[in-house]
Amino acid sequence: MADSNNSPGPLAQSINNIREYERIAGFSKIARRALANNSFDGVLTMIGVLMGNYLGDVDSANTVIRIGIATSVSIGVSGLWGAYLAESAERGRELAELERISLTNLSKTKIGRASRVAVIVVSLVDGISPLVSSLIVLIPFFFAPLIGNIMVSYALSIIVGLLGLFGLGMFLGHISERSLIGYGLRTIVAGIAAIAINALLPLSP
Amino acid sequence: MGNLRRLVLDVLKPLDPNIVELVQLVAELEGVDGANISIYEIDRRVENAKITIEGQDLRYNEITHVIEENGGSIHSIDEVAAGRVLIEDVITPQD
Repeated sequence: MADSNNSPGPLAQSINNIREYERIAGFSKIARRALANNSFDGVLTMIGVLMGNYLGDVDSANTVIRIGIATSVSIGVSGLWGAYLAESAERGRELAELERISLTNLSKTKIGRASRVAVIVVSLVDGISPLVSSLIVLIPFFFAPLIGNIMVSYALSIIVGLLGLFGLGMFLGHISERSLIGYGLRTIVAGIAAIAINALLPLSP
Repeated sequence: MGNLRRLVLDVLKPLDPNIVELVQLVAELEGVDGANISIYEIDRRVENAKITIEGQDLRYNEITHVIEENGGSIHSIDEVAAGRVLIEDVITPQD
């Protein structure tokens, strides 16, 4: 029987709804994959931007920050847009198939809402994760006036990037319940490879 | 109008939300004493369910709203009972 005294508050109700939508639409696994994948993209992209600036003899922290933020915003928008279009197309197809089988319009039901929430959550994770991860790599340049030497900012940013990759690898190791260090080392190798290839490219500034 | 005491519905519903959730949502409704859902046919994405609900004063509109909100489509009302006493279906010689 319903008991109005035990009804949850608006926040608790919203959390319960999100949990219920997750059970129906199962978006947490996709969002987790997007978080790891796109954060990885964000960090590696920013390592590439830093290497480009360093090899191009850019010695102004402001220029590096400007280029870095422009790149971060672009990969964030790319992640958001791409995921929104792909996810909404996929979810729309699934819902249409279910509607066809059940001969019911499901758009105003819990199932329709769960599908729309899934699209929003996955798109946001896809967009925000590369934006944030790439900006984290750029942090030492925000402190460039305090650090003094621009080369130290470059070195610190690369270290932050490699540590970020290691952390992402550990996150993947945690998900797969395998070796955290092993996965961390695998992802850090990708960063080192990006740095090495950039450094070895026979291009003069 | 007499109070609705028993309702048996034939419902086609998606596999998710599952019947564990649905039966609890129906049982929580005002006027419902108990609910039972049994599946008699299952497909890749949908299942056919027989939903039996009993109570002192069932609210038909609220029950159908909960079922439809969870993606169910009521195909038929297979049995109803109303009034002060719950009357079972009587087997006659013609049956």
